[in-house]
Amino acid sequence: MGKSQNGENLGTETVSDGGDEQNNPDELSSEPGFKFDQILKDVDQFIETLDSGENNFTCIDQFLEMVDSEIAAYELRKASAKFGLNMEEFFEAVKLLWTIIRRLEELPSDSGATSCLNRAGSEHHRAMLLLENEFRTLLDINTDRNEGETKLKTVEEFPYFSPESVSIMNRIGSTMIFAGYEAECCIAYSGLRLKALDAELSKLSFENINVDDAERMSWESLEVEIGNWLHIMKHCTNNLFSEERTLCNSVFSEHPSIAQRLFCELSTSLTMRLLNFPNALVLPRQYSTEKLFKFLDIYEALRDLNNMEIGNYLSAKEFMSDTFTVQCRIGETAVSIFSQLENSIESDNAGRIPVAGGAVHPLTRYTMNYLKYACEYKDTLEQVFQKHNEMEGLTVQKVQENYIEKDDRFLPASPFALKLVEVMDLLDANIEMKSKLYRSPSLRYIFLMNNGRYILQKLKESTDIYDMLGHSWSRKRTSELRQYHKLYQRDTWSNVLQTISHEGVQVNGKVSKPILKERFKNFNALFEEILKTQSTWVVSDGQLKSELRVSISSVMIPAYRSFVGRFQSYFDNSKQAGKYIKYQPEDIEELIEQLFEGNTTSMIRRS
Amino acid sequence: MPATDYQASFLGRISLRRNQVIAMDGNHEQEDLELFSKHVSERFTELLSPPDDVVFDTLLSISWLRKLLDVFLCCEAEFKAVLMMGDDDHPFQISKPPLDRLIHEFLDRSIKALDLCNAVTNGLDSVRHYQKLAEIAASALGQKPIGDGQARRSRKALNSLLMAMSVDDKECSAVKTTERSWSFSRLAVNKDRSPGHLRQVAKKWSAAKQIQAMTWNLVPPRGAEGSGLASPVYTMSVIMVFVMWALAAAIPCQERNGLSATYFPVRKQWSWDQSITGLHEKIAEEWKEKEKKGAAGLLSEVQKMEKLVRNLMEFTDSFQFHGGTDEKAEEAADHAAELAEICKRMEEGLLPLQMKIKEVFHRIVRSRAEFLQALKQGGKSSAPPV
Repeated sequence: MGKSQNGENLGTETVSDGGDEQNNPDELSSEPGFKFDQILKDVDQFIETLDSGENNFTCIDQFLEMVDSEIAAYELRKASAKFGLNMEEFFEAVKLLWTIIRRLEELPSDSGATSCLNRAGSEHHRAMLLLENEFRTLLDINTDRNEGETKLKTVEEFPYFSPESVSIMNRIGSTMIFAGYEAECCIAYSGLRLKALDAELSKLSFENINVDDAERMSWESLEVEIGNWLHIMKHCTNNLFSEERTLCNSVFSEHPSIAQRLFCELSTSLTMRLLNFPNALVLPRQYSTEKLFKFLDIYEALRDLNNMEIGNYLSAKEFMSDTFTVQCRIGETAVSIFSQLENSIESDNAGRIPVAGGAVHPLTRYTMNYLKYACEYKDTLEQVFQKHNEMEGLTVQKVQENYIEKDDRFLPASPFALKLVEVMDLLDANIEMKSKLYRSPSLRYIFLMNNGRYILQKLKESTDIYDMLGHSWSRKRTSELRQYHKLYQRDTWSNVLQTISHEGVQVNGKVSKPILKERFKNFNALFEEILKTQSTWVVSDGQLKSELRVSISSVMIPAYRSFVGRFQSYFDNSKQAGKYIKYQPEDIEELIEQLFEGNTTSMIRRS
Repeated sequence: MPATDYQASFLGRISLRRNQVIAMDGNHEQEDLELFSKHVSERFTELLSPPDDVVFDTLLSISWLRKLLDVFLCCEAEFKAVLMMGDDDHPFQISKPPLDRLIHEFLDRSIKALDLCNAVTNGLDSVRHYQKLAEIAASALGQKPIGDGQARRSRKALNSLLMAMSVDDKECSAVKTTERSWSFSRLAVNKDRSPGHLRQVAKKWSAAKQIQAMTWNLVPPRGAEGSGLASPVYTMSVIMVFVMWALAAAIPCQERNGLSATYFPVRKQWSWDQSITGLHEKIAEEWKEKEKKGAAGLLSEVQKMEKLVRNLMEFTDSFQFHGGTDEKAEEAADHAAELAEICKRMEEGLLPLQMKIKEVFHRIVRSRAEFLQALKQGGKSSAPPV
C-alpha cells in the first residue's frame, strides 16, 4: 500500500468533466466524489484497527462503491486496451479488496461484518470476472485488436504478443493468483495456449495420422509425411518450445512454479501429439534397407526433443518416458533395417550366374555405398546399437573379438563397429562364394581383385568406416589382393612364358627349327586366346588395371623381346619369320593395353 | 451350469481331433488352452462386481477401468504364451492356414485398438478439464457461509463444466470451446482451413466405426476350422474388442454414435463368454439409460459429477444471500463435499489410468512385432519389403 501512504498522486490533477466520468476510469481518482487516496488511507487504518470491539464499516462501503464504479467503467470500455494508464491503481485496489475480505473472514460471525463481507465478495468476483475476460481477450490472438483507444500491436513472430500485452497479462495473472483465482487464470491460460499451439501446428500443415491409416500408406506417401514431420519437429525443438517457455515465464514471472507447471503441461500435450506419428511408424512392416536413413533422421529429431529441458513437474516424467520409448522403438526399427542388409547379403545368389567379365558385383557396390552413407550417421548409429545391445542384454564378447587393432593398438570395439565387421565378413564370404562360379581360375582372381579393390577404395573414401574396421583389417585385405594378383599372373601367363622360354629350344646343342616354329605358334595361339578372352574382362579401377597391365608387361615384354631377339634369325627369310613371328614386342605392349577393357569384340591387330 | 461342464464338452471336441495328432504333444497344448479359458473366465467374472473401494452405482469407474486393463494385460500375456508355446510343439503352426489368416485378422484388430487407445488418452484430457472446473465450484461452495461472490463463481464454473460435457457428447464437434484440448483426428479442426492444406489420408475417424471394423469377421471358430489354437485367438479378439468398447463407452472420444449397439458375436458356450457377455449387457444397459439424458461418457465419476453439478446449479440459480444458513445451504455444502471427493478420485486415478492405457498400447505394439516375427519364421512373410 506504499503509494497511498506516501501520498503520491497517481491520477491526473485536472478535474474531469462530469459527463465523462463513467467512461474514463483513468481519471476516476481525481473525481471529486471519490477521494481515492483518502479512501485507501481510511481502509488501511481500518484494517489495522480491525480487532477492536465495534467496527464501522463505512469506509469499506465507500471503498466498495469506488471499486464498483471503476469496474463498471472498465466493463463498458471496448475490447482489449481496457487497462490504460492507471491500471496499476486498479490492480492495487483489487488486491486491497482481497486483503479486506481475508481480514473480514477472520472476524467472528457475530461481529456484524457479514453483509459487508458479502458485498465485498460480490465485488471481488465481479473484478475477477473482468480480469479473466480481459486476460482471455489478450491471450486470444484472433480477437480483433483494432477496437479500443490504445492499440496493442501484435508482433510478427510466434507467440505474436507485444511486450505491452504480455506486461498487462502479467499484472492480471499476478492479481488473479494473489486474489485466490489461480484456478481460473490457469485454465484460461492453458486453454488458449493449446488453441494457439494447435493453430501454429496447422500453419505448418501438421496433421494427425491414425495408426490404422499409416499402416496402409505406401512408402512414397509415408516419406512425404516423414519429411513434413521432421520439419515440424525441428521448428518445435528450435523455436516453439523455447518461445512458449519464455511466454510462460513472462506472464507468470512472479510465480515460477506455476509457470513451470503450465509449461510442462503444454509441452507434454504438444509432444504427445507429435509422437503419434513415429509411434505409428514403428509397427513393423518390412522396411527395406534404404529406408534406414529416414529412420535415423527421426531418431535424431526425437533425441533433440528428449534433450530439451522440460522441468521437473510431474507431467515432465511422462513426457520423458514417452519420448524415450518412441525413440527406442525407432532405434530398434533402425537396427532391424540395418540387419536386413546382412540378410540381403547372405541370400544374394544372383541365380548362380556370375557377373560378366569378373566385374565388381552390384552387391559389393550397393553394400559399400550403403555403408559409406550410413557412416555419415555414425554417431547416431553408435547410440542406436549401443542401446540395442543393452536392451538385448548382450554381454560383451570375448576380449579378442571385441577389440579392433588400430595403429598397432587394441581398442574396444563399439557395438556398431562390430556390426560393421560382421557385414564386411558376410560380404567377403559372399564374394568368395560368387568367385567360385567362375570356371576360369584367372577370371576368378580378377573378380576377387575387382571387388576387393573396390572395397578398399570405398574405405579410403570414408575415414569413419576405416577407423571402425581398424588398420589391420585393411592391411590384411591389401595383402590378399596382392596374393590374388600373383595367382592370376601365374595362372594366365606362366604357360605363355613357357612358350618363350629359352630352355628347350635347342636339341643337341642346336636350335631346333621345328621346336621354334612350334613355340611361336603356341605363343601366338595362347596370347591371342588370352587377348580374346581377357579383353572382355573388366577391371574398372583405373589403378588396378594399370597395375595389372604393368606387371604383365614387365614380365612379358622383356621375355618376348629377348626370345625374339635371340631366335628370329633362325628363320630362313623374313617371309617365314613373318609367318611365325606375328608380333613385335611393341605390338605385345600395345595389345596388353587392350586387356580388361570389357570389349565385346576383340581387336587384334594383325601385322 | 458350472463352468467346468462347459469346459468338459469343449475339451471333448478337441480331444477327438487331438487323437489324430501326436498324443503326447496334444495333451500339453490342450492343458494350456484349458487353463487359458479358465483364467479368462475367472478374471472377467471378478470384474462383474465393482472394486471394493468404489461406491458408485455404475460399473465404469476409474478403478474398474484400471482393473479391466490389468485383466487385459494378463490375458494377453497368457495368450501370447499359449500361442508361442503351441508353436514350440508344432513349429510354425501359426503360419499355416487357417491360423495364419486368423492371426493376421487379430493383428489388424490390434492396430485399430491402438488408435482407440490414443483417442481415449485424448479423451482423458477432457475429463481432467472437468475436474479442474469442478474443483473451483466445490471449493467455492464449501465455504461457510456462502456469499454472493462464491455462488456466482461456482455458477460460472458449473456452467462451463456442463457446456464442456455437452460439447464432448455431440458427435464430431467442429466448434471447440477455448478450453478444449486437442482434436484427435484431422477431422475436427478449424473450419477456416482451406481444403488445399489437407492431405488425403483416410476417411473421418470415428470410434464407433473403428470398433465396428474390429468386429468384422469376428466369428467363433467352427468345428472343422478349430485347430486348438484358433479358439484362443478368437477369445483374445473378443477380449480386445470388449476392452476397447468399454473404454470408448466410458471416456469421451470422437464420434461414438451407435457404439452402444455394438454387436458382440459370442456363443454362450464357453464360460468366459458368459462373463464378458454379462459385462457387455450391463454396460449397454447403463448406456441406454444415459443416452436419453445425453452424457459425456459413462465414466462413473463423470456421471456422478454431472448429477451433482446439476444439483448445485439449481442451488446457485436460486441462491439469495441472507447471512445465515439453511437446509438448502447445508445440502449444497454436502454436495460440494461429494464433488470434492470425486475430484480427488480423479486427481489420484486419472494419471495411473493414462499410464495403464499407454502400457496397453506399447504391449500391443510389442506383441504385434513378436507375432509378425513368428509368422515370418514360419516361412510366409507377411508382406514383401516396402
